[in-house]
Amino acid sequence: MMKITVCIGSSCHLKGSREVVEGLQKLISERGLKDSIELAGTFCLGQCQTGVNVLIGEERFSVTPDTVTEFFEKDVLPRIK
Amino acid sequence: MTKKNELCADIGYLSINHAGENLCGDHVEKVETDDSLVLVLADGLGSGVKASILSTLTSKIISTMIAAGLKLEDCVETIAATLPVCSVRGVAYSTFTIIRIVDNKRAEIIQYDNPKSILIRNGENYEYPVETLEIGGKRITKADIELQEGDVFIAMSDGVEHAGVGIRYNFGWKRSDIIEFMKTFVPVGFTAKTLTKILLDECDRLYDGQPGDDATVCTVKMRPRTPVNLMFGPPADRADNDKVMSLFFSSPGKHIVCGGTTSTIAAKWLDKPLVPKLEYLDPEIPPTAEIEGVDLVTEGVITVSRVLEYAKDYLKDNGKYEKWSCGRDGASLIARMLFEDATDVSFFVGRAVNPAHQNPDLPITFNIKMRLVEELSDCLGKMGKKINVSYF
Repeated sequence: MMKITVCIGSSCHLKGSREVVEGLQKLISERGLKDSIELAGTFCLGQCQTGVNVLIGEERFSVTPDTVTEFFEKDVLPRIK
Repeated sequence: MTKKNELCADIGYLSINHAGENLCGDHVEKVETDDSLVLVLADGLGSGVKASILSTLTSKIISTMIAAGLKLEDCVETIAATLPVCSVRGVAYSTFTIIRIVDNKRAEIIQYDNPKSILIRNGENYEYPVETLEIGGKRITKADIELQEGDVFIAMSDGVEHAGVGIRYNFGWKRSDIIEFMKTFVPVGFTAKTLTKILLDECDRLYDGQPGDDATVCTVKMRPRTPVNLMFGPPADRADNDKVMSLFFSSPGKHIVCGGTTSTIAAKWLDKPLVPKLEYLDPEIPPTAEIEGVDLVTEGVITVSRVLEYAKDYLKDNGKYEKWSCGRDGASLIARMLFEDATDVSFFVGRAVNPAHQNPDLPITFNIKMRLVEELSDCLGKMGKKINVSYF
């Protein structure tokens, strides 16, 4: 089971956490991956400059509402075993 | 805590003006002294500027004299003796109701010619006994009531009873009708301000939005003291974390933690997991989180900004009530706890500067946090709550 954690702290919120969360929720359900990906939230990761911060496991990525699909294709899908 | 502090008075008052008038001919004045609270609702004869000046004068004279420590009887005597009698109509210019709450244990209700104030006790109308006094040639009624938790007093000007005259009723709304109407809302647990608004909205409706008289309602609700503690931001010095957390969590009452870093520290101190939710119940407000042992965990600046917006609106016309009264987002939850539940609010404000937030692109700088606390505590003070702010 892969865990994706999205920062919902103040700064990331202003940069579009909600759109990122909603984008990921949509993609996960469209691809029928609800059983292999767990989506969670976290408060500030201390890296506000690069927000919206998203973790796959322990690895950190910078995602914006515009790059959600790209991030999903490039970084999420290949990591699913 | 002393016995005196077991109950406290929640107060709300509002007026609607005679159709076409900019000024209200009714006036409510509130004065607090060490051991008592005095509310004066005065109704100037007629409407418009003359009525407004006279009711303001009457309520100011009474409340100022009482605040200066004079006996209530003396104040009434002065007013009764000095109130001018209208040369045209042959009646006094201003009628009044005085509610004096002493030590939150007793209420004195002194009235000159206003409709008898209503007391709803245990959900039922309670007809309290009154004695009639003759002071300065005027008939004054006086009641002395031992207070109980949950007592709701409703004082009003005659414009409330006259609502609907000739429109929906021949002789207006009877006192018994008003009692029946309010009895359905009191047990719900609304605040004094909300109860006041409900009654006046109904009046306005009965008048078809064209009040034939100024109508004023002043509600006093006796409720137990409920402290709420709100922590906002981590302490400036990391070494103080434990001390501040132990002070915060040992304070009686409910506990709200605002801010991501702050809640992380709180969770660590409590040794419980911090579980953020991913539900966006209001698209603009970040989701809340859960920590066992904390009543509410929210994001910081954005959420509190919205609470401040609701607080300012509450003090004006409370038009956003529908939004925060049932919302489950962080800001609505804080608003309900602070505006409705709390009688005493303690802010624990951390002065730590989040380096990640000091970015010119972000509207959430340190100064904004300090300003939010100042403005919010100011608003809550105006709502009649006891406020205590500590900085760390």
